[in-house]
Amino acid sequence: MELYDRYAGLAYAVAMRVLGDPGRSEDVVQEAFLKIWTNAASFDPKKGSLRTWLITAVRNRSIDYLRGRGAHERQELELQPELVESSIRSDPWHEVSLSLERMAVREAVGSLPAEQRQAVQLAYFGGYSQVEIADMTHVPLGTVKGRMRLALEKLSSYLQGRGLINV
Amino acid sequence: MSDHEELEGTVAAWVLGALDANEAESIRVHVEGCATCRQTAVRFRRAADSLPLEVEEVVPPARLRERILIAATAARSSTVPSAPARKRAALAPRRWKPVATVQLGRLTAFAAAATVLLALLIGLVVGGLLGRGSVSPPAPQVARFTLVGHGALAAAHGTVIDLKSDGVTLVDFSGLPALNKGKVYEVWLITPGGHPDSAAVFVPDSNGSKVVLVNMPLKGYSQMAVTAEDGPDGSAAPTQQPQLYGALG
Repeated sequence: MELYDRYAGLAYAVAMRVLGDPGRSEDVVQEAFLKIWTNAASFDPKKGSLRTWLITAVRNRSIDYLRGRGAHERQELELQPELVESSIRSDPWHEVSLSLERMAVREAVGSLPAEQRQAVQLAYFGGYSQVEIADMTHVPLGTVKGRMRLALEKLSSYLQGRGLINV
Repeated sequence: MSDHEELEGTVAAWVLGALDANEAESIRVHVEGCATCRQTAVRFRRAADSLPLEVEEVVPPARLRERILIAATAARSSTVPSAPARKRAALAPRRWKPVATVQLGRLTAFAAAATVLLALLIGLVVGGLLGRGSVSPPAPQVARFTLVGHGALAAAHGTVIDLKSDGVTLVDFSGLPALNKGKVYEVWLITPGGHPDSAAVFVPDSNGSKVVLVNMPLKGYSQMAVTAEDGPDGSAAPTQQPQLYGALG
């Protein structure tokens, strides 16, 4: 359960952010952890970190729950159990690096213009489509697309500049 | 605007999951064949993957760890070959019985179920949660179903984990309202013909949660339902319309 102890707080927080319901959030976190432990097949570390895989699974399942969708067909990385465990144990600076990364992400998101931040958050945490966001915010679809693109461009540049992502 | 420019402008929305299925497929095909858009998608994906870090961590309920352990144990049992020639006579589905008999059966059932659960947990500890064995998985021996709350139990939820090879079922309840004094929740297994058989009684914890062991196979039943009945033994038949129920299959 090292994996759980390390990431359950973040996983549960993301589920709660999307769903706002403790019971449903527990369900999706449970499903995500079980997927790692029971359906692990192949893992290519080049394609993403364990944390990214887990949190993406939690977010996707939460959105599906929220939107009443069935099992989605998103492509998620599969992990080999042995690699799950080794990747946990080989990172003694996890807490420090995670804390620094979190601070940087908050700064980066906070630095976005409000309308760009809103577009990204409605899509990522709300599960809304670009068309729905355009309707909700009363702006043309092209404007929503532009806001999303600019937001991710800025986030990428900001995080890349701090060495937190490599592209 | 060219097709490429149009699609390139939509890569961010695609990465954020903000496209409908048809649009997403169009972009996926385009990105696969366009080096420029592929590079943009990788860059945007890494930025989007960082978004969860914006969220303040929340300590999950302590019971979630226990829930996952139990579910992982159940799932793990599905990847281990089932024991041959397991005796099942004592686990045959029960029909309606007088309350006193039901209680005797229930006590036996809980004892047996506790033994099975203990064995599973021992297996978990000894074998390790992550299972490094190279045993190829047999046919699934675990099925999961969902109970959905309605009316006064709208916030309630149940996850049914049917451990077929052990003839035992775990039901993980959450969101149940507190009971009136002297009342218990009673779990019913219902045949396709609508006949309810009592399967267990329980009282949820202060958070409205409980993992209940049902020591009988679900074969022959089409639904599971929960009602509030008089405690401590429950009723021989439901006295109210169930407001938490789900199909078993």
